Formats: sequence, structure tokens, C-alpha cells
Amino acid sequence: MAELRLDGVEKRFGPIVAVDGVNLTVPPGTFLCFLGPSGCGKTTLLRLIAGLETPTGGRIDLDGRDVTGLPTHHRNIGMVFQSLALFPHLNVGENIAYGMRVRGLDKAAQARRIDELLDMVQLTGLAERNMAQLSGGQRQRIAIARALALEPSLFLLDEPLSALDAKLRETMQVELRILQQRLGVTTILVTHDQREAMTMSDMVAVMGDGRIQQVGTPLEIYRRPANAFVADFIGTTNMLDGIVDGNEVKIGGARFAVSDLPDELSDGDQVHLSVRPEEVLVTKAGCAPHPPGGRLEGTVAFVRDVGATIETHIDCGAVRLIAAASPKDRPEVRSGDRAMVSLPPDACVVLAK
Amino acid sequence: MSSIDRMPGRTGHRRALLVLAYPSVMLGIFLVLPFCILVALSFYYRVPGGTYEPAFVLDNFANLAKAFFVNNTVHTLSVAGIVAVLAVALAFPFTYRLTRLPRRKQIPWLIFVLVVLALSEVIIGFSWSVLLSRTAGVSNIPVWLGLMDRPMSFTPSGTAMLLGLTYLAFPYTVLVLYPPLSRLDPSLAEAARTMGASPVRAFFTMIVPVSRPAILAALIMVFVFTLGAFVIPQVLGRPQHWTLAVHITDQALARANVPMAAAMSLALLAASLLLIAVTVAIGKSRRAVP
Amino acid sequence: MKTRKPAPSRRHFLAGTAAAGGALAMGLPFGAPAVHAQERSLKIGTYGGYFEESFTKHIYPDFTKATGIAVESIPEPTGDQWLLQLEQAAKAGVAPADVSMMANTVRIRGERSGLWAALDESKVANIGNLKPEFVFKYPDGRLYGAGAVSWYITLVTNTESYPEAPTSWAEFWDTENKDAIGLLALSSNSFLLEITAHTFFGGNDVLNTEEGVIKVLEKLAEAKSNVKLWYRDEGQFQAALQSGEIPMGQYYHDVAGLAAADGFPVRSTFPKEGGVVDSGAWVLTKASKKTEEAETFINYMCQPSVQAALSRKVGTAPVVPRESTDLTDDEFNAVSSEIAPIIPKYDLYIDKGDWVAEKWIEMITG
Repeated sequence: MAELRLDGVEKRFGPIVAVDGVNLTVPPGTFLCFLGPSGCGKTTLLRLIAGLETPTGGRIDLDGRDVTGLPTHHRNIGMVFQSLALFPHLNVGENIAYGMRVRGLDKAAQARRIDELLDMVQLTGLAERNMAQLSGGQRQRIAIARALALEPSLFLLDEPLSALDAKLRETMQVELRILQQRLGVTTILVTHDQREAMTMSDMVAVMGDGRIQQVGTPLEIYRRPANAFVADFIGTTNMLDGIVDGNEVKIGGARFAVSDLPDELSDGDQVHLSVRPEEVLVTKAGCAPHPPGGRLEGTVAFVRDVGATIETHIDCGAVRLIAAASPKDRPEVRSGDRAMVSLPPDACVVLAK
Repeated sequence: MSSIDRMPGRTGHRRALLVLAYPSVMLGIFLVLPFCILVALSFYYRVPGGTYEPAFVLDNFANLAKAFFVNNTVHTLSVAGIVAVLAVALAFPFTYRLTRLPRRKQIPWLIFVLVVLALSEVIIGFSWSVLLSRTAGVSNIPVWLGLMDRPMSFTPSGTAMLLGLTYLAFPYTVLVLYPPLSRLDPSLAEAARTMGASPVRAFFTMIVPVSRPAILAALIMVFVFTLGAFVIPQVLGRPQHWTLAVHITDQALARANVPMAAAMSLALLAASLLLIAVTVAIGKSRRAVP
Repeated sequence: MKTRKPAPSRRHFLAGTAAAGGALAMGLPFGAPAVHAQERSLKIGTYGGYFEESFTKHIYPDFTKATGIAVESIPEPTGDQWLLQLEQAAKAGVAPADVSMMANTVRIRGERSGLWAALDESKVANIGNLKPEFVFKYPDGRLYGAGAVSWYITLVTNTESYPEAPTSWAEFWDTENKDAIGLLALSSNSFLLEITAHTFFGGNDVLNTEEGVIKVLEKLAEAKSNVKLWYRDEGQFQAALQSGEIPMGQYYHDVAGLAAADGFPVRSTFPKEGGVVDSGAWVLTKASKKTEEAETFINYMCQPSVQAALSRKVGTAPVVPRESTDLTDDEFNAVSSEIAPIIPKYDLYIDKGDWVAEKWIEMITG
């Protein structure tokens, strides 16, 4: 187990800034995801940590040691590549043993470790198989086993599951997480799939424009996005434009109480108000009692029932709100009904513009 | 009636046959036919003091059993083998580095390779004979710098011949290796490095073995290509270095002994095919047994 | 057989192209009259390069002026290659050239396979001007060829490396000359057997038996460590001779003279044992339909005045007695010598050609 610390890490490719002054500490044993849209610099940042790219600024510490200038092969990392990068000319066992052979481990120790790792990824007895004979999921597991063969202090994964079909991907996510918890290895996974990030990680670092926009637990990121970028990127959200007025936010004519107003904001500031659809409450207009908090009235434009959730789209003047509910909380409204929309104060996140 | 019904089908079939026939006919005219002529010529009778006439005699093949021919065949195959190994040993790392460069930086190198490719064997042979000569060659540089007392000549010699042939084969080798190496996933080498292999070690323990089919193809290509070179061995080598291609040329063009030249060519062809078959078999068996 | 490639090495690169397809371009200066279909014309082959250029420039225009026959000059490849091409073409009834200049061994091969057309002696009356050894007939007495030019192979040296002119072929065996000598690569064009025989065995007679040939070859093998280059290509040796890279060797007297005239430090010496005299003959392929024009041409070429012009312009030795020409002593000595020449033992390369070639190649590669 090792701690990773990034201090002002920067990477420029000519005029393009791919990674722009990243500061981050990953505590030992943590599973952290770099989550962000394509081109946000997450893969470059992972490659900087691996030593496959050289930073143009800042420093990287691994286990209390400055590794900024240390070549990859001296960093003691394990990495799973997006293409998996399995060696086609070697069989399963030889692929896993590659690092051990480089280290000069004796044959018997290699064989023991191969069996151990294959057991670990539930591919017992496949050491003699050729790469071409394996399924996608099996190849995935081999790549993981190979990366972990040398008990690396840091385990890096670059969108390793993106090639798998949806069902297999979910199974692998869970498996990988369980494996990581068992081994306790500090792990960084790059993904653009927030569900994947939410499923697996202790911490998520949302990246945008070469910077880390927010670091936190999956729930924090979801519930308390630090800025509009994060709120917009993570899940769906209702983003309303408003103005700060005392402890409330004015949207159009309505006023909304918010439980947590950032200190730096003062009266008259333009802000975004972000509310997750599942926090939005919908009742038929005229029906009392109304839940607490600010409210808007509007017309139900569309009800989308996908079984597990019911989405209600309501037009309230210039804004359209989306509310999501589980079947047992199904709102009693239909398309065309007038409806009252309530935003609970503790669900309202105020974001500076 | 029925014949009319079947007409379109028939013409379509015929057209398909025609399309298929074209490459077969071309192959027949430009490859099979000349080869058959070569085989036929090898049985012709050599008229002493004249040229040759159609016959079926085995004299030409009987002549091949002589020590001179056998030794020279071994020498020729060795030269081709050494050149193949040298050319691939030089071209492989070069091409690998080349394919790792950004496209923009690859272009000048590729142009350089193509320019060398455009040079004929004659030009390459004579250029190297000048470069390696005492009077105008490279040894004048250390003399000029005061590192050597007097210039020396490196040609003709076996080394000069190998150098010339390797230079001749180099661009072809690069072009054969370029497509498979540029298709090679860059993360393969990176994966090796994350597992503790230095770049040099990753090159030898991963890049080279993973490219074995390409290397084998390049070796065979250079080998066959070198067998046909007959100017460079004359220009850069001493008589004991002359390859079979030189002697075949002498037989055919300087002595009008075409039947003997044909028999020698066939023997060289058979020996090289055998050697290639063995090489391929070894390549395959290594793959099967890890 | 004589390898006639272009003299200066830089022209060498053009030779292949010229032989393959450059005939038309090379023949252009005289192609102009040939466009008139009714005009009589003749395709004449000579060794591509210096020879072909010189004939085109100095000899053919006068011939066309004198006879009205336009000449299309064909640069022919060296060795037996042209013979093979003519033979193949004749089977198909085609003539890549009507008249060709052929070296002796090749001429004899063609004679044996009956490739040359018989000529009407009355139409080539000037043949009487030639020395008798330059008149070539089939065993049944039909005339088929006439000497064209003769030339000498001599001992050449770089004047900077050898301030003193050498006097004997024995220089080739002198250990002082290690790695300093360039010799022709083939038994049949170097005539080194005859040179060795004359230098160490008192003449060609030793070559009458196989044992004698072997003895001569063994003697020649002693010179091997002195030989830096066994050349097939004249250009390669000439460049090396001029630069001093290979300062001694055997070479063509005429071409060496031209190089010296161009200011290169090269000299050609007739050794005391004699220079090797070789010659080319005009022959007509039997596939040609231009017998009459060919006879006119050969008749024209056999005139002493034309032979003198060849000596002056091309640097070859006449095939007519010297006295019949108007060559001055200086002009004659520039292309020939009073020292009795070494005459090649052509039958050796014809009747025992394959055996000699085999022993020869074993000797030089051994």
C-alpha cells in the first residue's frame, strides 16, 4: 500500500495544456477514479503517474518518494491498458510471468505465482492457453492478473472495461472492486462512465479542461457538486438560473429556501440552482398540503415511465424541470395537468456562475 | 426455351471465368512459361565451340556435382543468409523507431529510404567502391584529421561486398517491415515497461519476439533478393567472393552456355527453396512449442 | 572476344540503357535521312559506348555520303550476349542489326552454328586489301566476314605511381606490385594464358596440350596476390587506373591513349614480349534482307583510306597492311607497335572453351 501525491503536475503538448496544475493526494489503499469527458486529460494524467509521459511541471510522489523523473520500469506499478496490451506471442502463463521473468524470479516461484493469480481471477488452469483462444472477459482478467503479478504499490487502469458488453462490464466492475479491497492496493481507474466510477471507487476525481474539478466520495460528488461542470457531468440535474436574496434564491417570481448557501455569495449574485430529479417533488396543483420548500407551478409536458423510474417533465414558464420517482411514489399527474413542483431546501445546491 | 432462360446465367458465369482467367493467364505468361523454358533449356545440349541446341541430356546437371559448384552454392547461400541477418538486424530497430515517430517526422526518413531504393545495384556497387577506395575513400578523413598515416583501401573484400549487399537490401527490408511494425499496438511496449522492463529490454524481450512473422518474412525476402545480386559481388568482392549469380551470368553471357546457366539457376532455386522451407518450419515449430 | 564497354566510367551507367533500348536515340544524327522510306538503309551494330559513338560520329556520315545508304547505329552488348540475341532473333526471322562487329571467339561460335550470311566476293572486291588472316570463310569456302578493326591489349600504368614505364609483362609477378594490378576477369577476353605463355614459356606452343594449359595456369596463379581487381567492366578499371587506386594492369591500348590525351596520368606500354592483338570482324546475320547494302558497307570499310581514318579517329589498328595506308609513323605507332604481337590462341577458347573456363575460374577463385 502506498500513498500517491501529485503537486502542481502539468503536461503541455506544444501549445496544448493537457494537464493543468493538478494537486491530488490518494491515501494508501484507496480506489480512486479519474472521471471526465473525453479530452479532459484523465488518461494523460494516468500516464504521467505511470511514467509513460514526462510532466512539464510539478512533482509526483509515490510512497513518500519523488518519482517525477523515475522511468516507468523503476516505479513498481501495475497497469491495465485500454487495449489490454496482452502479448499475442505468449500464452496466458507467459504473459503473467513476463514481469517476473524480467525480475529474474526462478521458474518454480513463477509457476506458483501464476497459479495463485489465475485462481485469484478465477481462471484456474488456463496457464497454457493461447491468447487467441480466450474470450473478452477472460482476456480482461489475464490483463488484471498480469498487472498485479509483481504486487505493485500502485495499480493503474486505463478504461479497461470499455470494450466489454454492458452486462459483463458490470460483473467485472464488482469483481474488480472486491479484488481491490481484498488486496488493498492503491488503485486509480480512468473512466468516462460515471456509473462505473460510482460502483467501484472510494473517491472520484472529476476532471475537466485538464484540471481536477472536484474530489470526493461518489455520494458527495453526486449530492454536492462543487461547480456547474460537475453537477452537469454527473447524472442528470435540473439547472435553474437565479439570484441570491438573503438565505434564499429567487427564480422568476418564486423564492427558494436553501439550506447551504456558500459564504462567498452575497445578495444580487447570479447563481445556478442545481436539483437532482429524484429530489424534485410533484403534486397535483390545488392539492394540499404542499411539502416544505420553494415551489413552482407548471404544466406536465410528458411522463416517461421506464418501469424502474418514472420521469415527469414539467414546463414552468421559461424552465423545464424533470422529476424522477420510483413506482411506489408515482405522482398522480398526467400529461397536460397543472402541477406543483417543490424543491426541498436541503436538495438545492447553489453554484456560483 | 430453356437454353434462352439459362443464357444470362451462362454469360455471367463466363464473365466470372474471364475475370478469373486474366490473372491466371498473366501468371502463366510471365511466371510459369519462363520457368518452363528455363527447365527445358537446362536439358539442352551444349555445342562445344558453338552455342546450344534442343535435346534432352543430363550433362548440365552432372556438371553441378563438381566441388567448385557445390562449394560456391554453399558460399552463395551463406552470403545471402549473412546479408539477410545484417539487413534485418539494421532495418528492424530503424523501422521500429521510425514507426514510433509522429507521421510528419516519418516522411523525410521514408523519402530517404525510397531514394536509396531507386538506386540500381550498379550505382550502389560503384559508389561504395569509390567510398572504400584508398584514393577517394573514407579513410582519407582520419588521415586528414591526423589520426592515420596514410589512406587505405577496403575494397575489394568480403566485408565490402557484404556492406554493399546489405546497403542494397536495406530499403527493401524497411519497406517490408514498415506495415507490420506501424500496426503494432504502442501500448505493448508500454505494458512491458510497466512490468519492469527497460526500453532496450522491452525491445528485445517483447517487440522482437512479437514481430517474429514479420522478421521471418523480411529475412526470406532479403535472402532471395541477395541471391540475385551479380554486380556488387564482382565490383566489391574478390574472385573467391563471387556468388553463383556472377558465375551464372558468365556462363550465359560470356560463354553462351545457356543450358549450363539454366541448370545452375535451377539448382540454386532448389537449394534456396529448401533452405526457406526449413526456416519457415523452424519458425512455425517455435511458435507451437512455447 | 572482347569486352567493349564505354571507356570513361561515368558513361558506364548509360551502357545498359543504351544496349537495351537507346539504339534509336543513339542513331538519331543519321536517323534523319532514314525517314525517307525509299532510301536504302542499314542497321549496324558495334559495342555500345565509346566505339559506337566514335563510329557514329566519324565513320558513318562519310559512308552515307559516299553510298546514299543511311545507317542506323545499334549499340550492342558485350560478350556472347549479342550472339545469343542475334541467334534467337534469327530463329524468329528478325534482325536486330544487319551487320555486326564481332570479336573472334564469338564470330567463330556464330560460324559453327551457321548464323552468318554468305557474302558475294565480287561485291566486296576491296576485301583483297585486307591482310589474309582477316578474311573469314566457311569451311566450304563461302565468304562470311571481313576484318573490321584490330586493337591491342597492353601493359598500362599510372604515371604518378610508376614514373618509369615498365617493360615486361613479368611485372605482374613482381611481389613489389602486391594488390596493385587490374586484370580482365575472363580467360577468353584477357588472353592472360597467351601472355603468361609468351613471358615464361617462350610462346603459345605450351598451350597445345591440357597439361601445358594447367602449367601456365599454375604460373599465372602465382600472380594472384598482386591482383586487386579482376574486371569485367572497363570503366571500373579505367577509373581506378586514372586515380592510382589500381596503378597497373592490362588494358586496351586505344582507350588508354584517349585517357592520356585527355590529360589523365595513364600510359600504355607495349612490353618486350609484345602486346596482345585482337580484332573485330564485320558479319551479316542470315536473318537480314539487306545483303546488298551490307556488302556495300563491308566493301567500303575495307578501303585503306577508311582504315587510316579509323586509326586516326577511333584509335584502332588497321586490318590492311600498313604500307597501303597513308598513316605517318607517329600515327601508326599511336595505334600499334613494331614489336611482334602476341596472337591469341582462339581455338583454345572454342574447342576447349568450357574446359579452359572451368580451370580458369577454379584458379582465380581458389
